[in-house]
Amino acid sequence: MRILAIARNTFRENIRDKILYNLILFALIMILSSVALGQLTLGHEDKVIVDLGLTSISVFGTLIAIFIGISLVHKEIEKRTVHALLAKPVHRAEFIAGKFLGLLFTLFINTAIMTAGLILTLMWHGGAGLQGYLRLLPAVYLIFLSLSLTTALALLFSTFSTPALSALFTFFLWVIGHFNYDLREFGRLTKSGALQSLCTTLYYLLPNFANFELIGSQNVIQGAAYYRPIDAAAVGWVSVYGALYGAILLGIAAAVFSRRDFK
Amino acid sequence: MKLMQSWRTQCRSWFICGIFFVAALMIRPVQSRIDTLLANPAPDQDLLYFAAPVMVEKLTLGYRSIVADIYWMRAIQYYGRRDEAARRPVRYKNLAALLEITTTLDPDMVDAYRAGSSFLAEPEPLGAGNPQEAIRLLDRAIARHPDDWRYAFDKGFIHFWYLRDFKPAGEIWLKTSRIAGAPVWMEPLAAMSLSHGGAMATARSIWQRQYRESDRADVKKNAMNHLLSIQVAEDMWTLEFLVENYVRKTGLLPWTLDDLVRSGYIKKAPTDPLGTPYQFNPQTGMVQLGLQSKVHYIEMPAVYREVFLQNLARQYPQYR
Amino acid sequence: MPAIEIKGLTKDFLVGFWKKHPVRALDNLDLSVEKGEVFGFLGPNGAGKTTTLKILMSLLRPTSGSARILGEPIDVVSMHARIGYLPENPYFYDYLTARELLTYVGRLFGIRQPALNRKVSQLLENVGLGQSGGIQLRKFSKGMIQRVGIAQALVNDPEVVFLDEPMSGLDPLGRREVRQVVASLKSRGVTVFFSSHILPDVEALCDRVAIMNRGRLQATGALNEILKVRIEGHEVILTGAGPRTIEALSGMCDQITALGERLVLRAGNSAQVAAIVECALSGGADLLSVIPIRPSLEDYFFEEITGTGL
Repeated sequence: MRILAIARNTFRENIRDKILYNLILFALIMILSSVALGQLTLGHEDKVIVDLGLTSISVFGTLIAIFIGISLVHKEIEKRTVHALLAKPVHRAEFIAGKFLGLLFTLFINTAIMTAGLILTLMWHGGAGLQGYLRLLPAVYLIFLSLSLTTALALLFSTFSTPALSALFTFFLWVIGHFNYDLREFGRLTKSGALQSLCTTLYYLLPNFANFELIGSQNVIQGAAYYRPIDAAAVGWVSVYGALYGAILLGIAAAVFSRRDFK
Repeated sequence: MKLMQSWRTQCRSWFICGIFFVAALMIRPVQSRIDTLLANPAPDQDLLYFAAPVMVEKLTLGYRSIVADIYWMRAIQYYGRRDEAARRPVRYKNLAALLEITTTLDPDMVDAYRAGSSFLAEPEPLGAGNPQEAIRLLDRAIARHPDDWRYAFDKGFIHFWYLRDFKPAGEIWLKTSRIAGAPVWMEPLAAMSLSHGGAMATARSIWQRQYRESDRADVKKNAMNHLLSIQVAEDMWTLEFLVENYVRKTGLLPWTLDDLVRSGYIKKAPTDPLGTPYQFNPQTGMVQLGLQSKVHYIEMPAVYREVFLQNLARQYPQYR
Repeated sequence: MPAIEIKGLTKDFLVGFWKKHPVRALDNLDLSVEKGEVFGFLGPNGAGKTTTLKILMSLLRPTSGSARILGEPIDVVSMHARIGYLPENPYFYDYLTARELLTYVGRLFGIRQPALNRKVSQLLENVGLGQSGGIQLRKFSKGMIQRVGIAQALVNDPEVVFLDEPMSGLDPLGRREVRQVVASLKSRGVTVFFSSHILPDVEALCDRVAIMNRGRLQATGALNEILKVRIEGHEVILTGAGPRTIEALSGMCDQITALGERLVLRAGNSAQVAAIVECALSGGADLLSVIPIRPSLEDYFFEEITGTGL
């Protein structure tokens, strides 16, 4: 299909981008050094390795999602490669979908490599067998969901904004998205009805990244570090949220992109 | 003409290089000068210190687990410096705050509560010397984990050992013994503590238990030091007790502890548990550790001495 | 059914930072191109040529008016499967090799392996890049990029091909090759619509042209017709005329110039030409050439453009 062709091309572009390798290397170094760091905690080594490993996967994944995402569409417009592309029988929405899937696949490969690195480090260093470490996978899945949403955000901004502003907005929304609950609480605490409605509206409007990090009042990375099981139903609902919100973002991106003139 | 031009350009390049080099060399002395002009930046202001743990929690953005680990490592660094304590004073006032933040971020970190509270309670210069903060920390642990007997036990111990409040200690331990899963020795321990007489024995049994059960080298070492100190204290107080008796009998202070041997109070010249003989000061009548002693003596509070001597008097009425 | 049909096509651009005002880049263009034609689209910079092409490709949306390609409205994306497009100053993904690019384009058209590989190889050969298929585009020269551009426009064997300045950046060798490509397309019945500055090429290739200026259509029609209208007379070149012959001749023509050994005469009408020729021959001069003076496309072009006050 055409969308897959575009996705494949996007993936190839990402793979040949050097910044990707730097970030992966960094992440792997962090995971390995967590072994050294673990010595400092006197008995908590496993926990530190998992904590640092999962945090690295999340942080570096977010950086990749933002840095590559913000130029996904913008670069094509700047370099005018989009001209030849849209003269082919390709719908503008297909273009957006293809770009998104391409970056998503890149992130998937990254996350897989880093997770493999983490599990190998744990197996080399720690006690529990592979079985135990496979229980980290739900946490990795949730991190990946979070990355997908970040990608969709970056892609949306990429359709109409410069890379610098896109990065700023995406990062800003990513940070704000952790404070949704606080925002709503703030609204509840104030006496003003108007302020409360505003806060509640924002609560639903802004992307709620905390959804992916807090499952049943348990921080996901922390729960993984203590090898606690995770509530499957909650994970399911959170996935639905991610899919819905992501689809909305992509829809807006497709709409914006459809209305654009390419000078 | 052309040749001269390039020579000039070369000279200019070297000159510019030279300027850069000199400027780089000057940075260090200039900075040092600035440093001396400024007031010393307070070394006890820890960069990680935040007044409100809630703030830190908010700022971690979902990465609270690794941040908790970092705070814990920082807290350990404070305690790790205890061996240098003699060389420079270490400020522990941030320790309580760091531990509070750690346990806010990760309420399940057992060591942060247990080892942390013991770092807090240990008197200076080995610890922060702040048993009240230790109790606060353990209260948070108990609130979060009411079914875990270990925290209540630790809290009782702080009362017992560091605050010398035997009754509250005993009461806490009594309640603890009712928690499901509490070990069988909890109740007798409570009983021992509630009765004054058992203070030293209680302490000894607790330190022994800690030594046996902990797998942390630093905790074991600390327990051993306490055990040795208890033994040394008992030895010294016993010896002083005998000296007093000697004085009452003979009207004079003994010259050395060998006098006590000769007089039949003790069988041979007493040594500390690690083999160095005790020393006697004939001026004051006090017994001390030998100068070569390898025991890391931790001072016993006076109240223990009182209780111990009362018990001794009861046990050996002939020495009244 | 015409291959390309444009009716009343208008495009306004909003310019300015705070107060945006519209600038009309294309004003009510009406144009029609039949199947199999090679149609030249001319005009100075800023005339609206590229704007027109972009609107046809749905890269820009018109302010008003409509257009159809092969009978389909231009916003029907599936119609793109039957056309090819070479953008002006094209740029393609520089991290791909030529082969990878053409394969990618082929996939977008739904061409499957192994036919795709064969097609790509053939296209590369046709544009003279047979040896360079495995080199990354970022290492290509402008001329090579242009050739890849033509190749990617032909991947789907289109019925109509749109070329925006296809000769730009090419050396004479390259230009000839492009001319050959266009000629072969024409022989296969493909409609070619291309814009160009290079008038000799247009003269050589096109059946019909349209001349744009400042967003308006200036003139349109078969080249011969546009230029024949302006035949201004004839030019006779001879040599070896004796002084008496020269004197006689100067009375018969509008202008006489000596160029070294040769004499160049200009005559207003055909009758004069006949008289001059007879006179020259009887005077023993050698006739070198007799040609009608018609302005080249360039002259016509300049006159049309400057005549309207550019």
